[in-house]
Amino acid sequence: MFTRDFVGGVATIAIGAVYLYFSYQLRTSALDDSMGPGGLPRIYGWLLVALGSILIMQAALASRTTAVVTASGEEAKGEWEGQGRKVVYAFGLLAIGIAYLFILETFGYLISIALLITTTALYLGAGFSGRLIAIGIGGAVFLYAMFVAILGVRMPAGILAVLGL
Amino acid sequence: METILHAASFLLDWHILLAALAGVTWGIMGGALPGISPSITMALLLPFTYTMDPTAAIVLLASTYVGAEYGGSVPAILIRTPGTNAAAATVIDGYEMNKQGKAGLALGISLYSGFIGSMFGLIMLIALSGPLALVALNFTPMAYFALGILGLSVIATLSGENLVKGFIAAILGLMIATVGSDPVTGGTRFTFGSSELLGGIEPVMIMVGLFAMSELLMQASKRGSDERVRSRPRIQFPDFKLAKRLIPSQMIGNGIGTFEGVMPGAGGTIASFMSYNEARRWSRHPEEFGKGSPEGIAAPETANNTVAGTALVPLLSFGIPGSNSTAILLGGFLIHGIVPGPMLFQRSGEVVHGLYAGLFTATIGMVIMGILMLPVCIWLVNRPRPYLNAFILALILSGIYSIHNETFDVGLMMAAGVLGFFMRMLRFPFLPTVLGLVLGYLVESNFRRSLVLSGDDYMIFVDDRISLSLLVLAFLFIGGSIAKRLYDTFVRKPETITES
Repeated sequence: MFTRDFVGGVATIAIGAVYLYFSYQLRTSALDDSMGPGGLPRIYGWLLVALGSILIMQAALASRTTAVVTASGEEAKGEWEGQGRKVVYAFGLLAIGIAYLFILETFGYLISIALLITTTALYLGAGFSGRLIAIGIGGAVFLYAMFVAILGVRMPAGILAVLGL
Repeated sequence: METILHAASFLLDWHILLAALAGVTWGIMGGALPGISPSITMALLLPFTYTMDPTAAIVLLASTYVGAEYGGSVPAILIRTPGTNAAAATVIDGYEMNKQGKAGLALGISLYSGFIGSMFGLIMLIALSGPLALVALNFTPMAYFALGILGLSVIATLSGENLVKGFIAAILGLMIATVGSDPVTGGTRFTFGSSELLGGIEPVMIMVGLFAMSELLMQASKRGSDERVRSRPRIQFPDFKLAKRLIPSQMIGNGIGTFEGVMPGAGGTIASFMSYNEARRWSRHPEEFGKGSPEGIAAPETANNTVAGTALVPLLSFGIPGSNSTAILLGGFLIHGIVPGPMLFQRSGEVVHGLYAGLFTATIGMVIMGILMLPVCIWLVNRPRPYLNAFILALILSGIYSIHNETFDVGLMMAAGVLGFFMRMLRFPFLPTVLGLVLGYLVESNFRRSLVLSGDDYMIFVDDRISLSLLVLAFLFIGGSIAKRLYDTFVRKPETITES
C-alpha cells in the first residue's frame, strides 16, 4: 500500500543517491582544506539516504499497525492512490509556463503574457468568452505598463520590435 | 531612546512612508485572498525589491507582513474562509457575528485589535532586538557555525507531523546551498557547466517557487471554493464600553503573541489559537465564545499582529527566521547583501531604524488602508479564481524574469515550484528547506574556517564559550522537541498544529 511517507522516503533516497554520485565526482586539489569541497555534500547525501530509509521504515510500521480492512475483506486504498490525476493537472499548468518561456523571445513580452493569462485562465476553468480575451489583453497591458513603463525592466520585444514596444 | 529618535527621523523620509503604505496595502489585499498566505504575498513582491533602496525594500516586505495579518481576517469574517492560517481562530466568532448582521463591527474589532497588536509588537521588537544583538557582538567563526546550527535546530519545532520529514526538508535546502562556488577554495560545485549557476542559486528563486508557484500548482490540481461575499459591510469600530471590555483579551493576545513571536517556529497560528483559548478561559462571558463574542475576535487578531512584530526579534538579532514570512524577509535582506544577525545593528543600523519607522507607519497605515481597501478586498475575494490565478502566474513569471532578464531564472523558479508541489503533496514542511538554504553557507563556511584555524581540532567548538552555549542550546532545542514528540506519541494523544 503506497502511503505519502513511503513515496516520500523512496523519492528522498533517490535524490540522495543522485546527489551523492555527483558529490563524489567533485575534484579535489592540493590547496583544499582537510574537508574539501565534497566533505559536507557527502555528509548531506548520506544523511538524506539514511533519513529516507527511516521514513520508509516508519511508513511500513504505520501501515502494519493501521492496516484497514473493509467489511468485505477488501483492503483499503493507499493514501497516495488517486494523486496521479492531481499531478497531471498541475503539470498542465507547468507546461503552460514552459511554453511561455519558449515563445517569450519570439513573440515578445506583451503578446506572450497576454497568451499566458488567457491560456492559464482557460485551463483553470474560465469559459471561453469575450471577458476572457478582455482580461488577457487588459492584464498584459497592465503588466507591460508596470514592468516596462514604470519599473524600466527590459522585456523582450519580439515581433513587436518594429513598433518600438 | 537614541534608537527611537533615530528611527523617528526616518518618518520624514517619503521612500519609507511610501514603502510602508504600499506594503500594508498589498498585504491587506494578499491576506484577504484565501490560499494566499502572508509569505506568498511577500514572496510575490521579492523580485520587485531588487532595484529598490535596501531600507525601503525591507520596509515594503515587513509592512506587507503586517497588512496580511489583518487582511486574513476579512474573508474569515465574511465567507468563513480564513485568508491566512493565523486568521483561522477569527472565523469562529467573526463569522457568527457576520451571521448576526454585525460584520462591520467584527471587521472593526479585528482592525482595532490588529492595530493594538502591531503597535505592541513593534515596542517589543525595539526593546528586545538591540540588547540581544549586543550579546552576539563577539562572535568568532566557531560561534557563527554554532549559531547556524541553532538556527537549523528550529526545524525540530517546524516539522509538523513528522520530525524526519523536517530534517529531510532541511537537508534539501542545505544541498541547494552547496550549488555554486565553494566557500573556502572558490572551486565550482554542482554547476554542470552552467555559467548561471556559478554564483549559486539565489534564495529568491527558491522562495518564490516553493511558496507561490507551488500554491498555483496545487490550486491547478483541485477545484477551489466558489463562496462569494453577499453583503457589503462598512467597518464599525467598537464604542468606548466595548473597547474597555476588549482590553483583557487584547492583553492576553499581546502576551502570548510576544512569547510565541520570539520563540522561533511557533508563529501566528499557534498564538491566535492559544490566545483565543486563554481569552475564553479568563473571560467574564465565556458562554458567548463560539456564538459571536467580540473578545473571540480581539484575542486572536491582537496575537497574530503582535507576532508580526516580535517574530522579527530572532531574525534581526541572530539572523534566524522563525516563520515562513520572516524567512522571506530574510531573503529580502540577502538580496541587498545585508546579513541579519549580530553585526546588523553595527553595519546596517540605518536599515534597522528605517524598519522601525516603517513598521510604525505601516501600523497607522493599516487602520487607514483597512477602511479604504475593504471594498477592494471584497471585490478581490469575489473574483473568479481562474482569472486571479492566471494573473498571479503572469506576475510571478514577469517578476522573476525582471531580476536578471534571464529565462534560466524563471526555469529555476518553476523547478523549485515543482519541488514545492511534491513537498506539499507528500506533506513535507517548507520552512526547513528555506532555513537550510539561507543558513547553508553560514554553516559550511564557518565550520571549515574553524577547522582550518584549529588545525582540524574539533574541540575548538567546545573551547569557544559562545559556540558551546549555542550548541548546547541547539541540542536542548532538538532534544526537547524529540522528547515532547515521544511523550505525545506514547503518553498523550497526538495533537499537532502546523503552519504552512
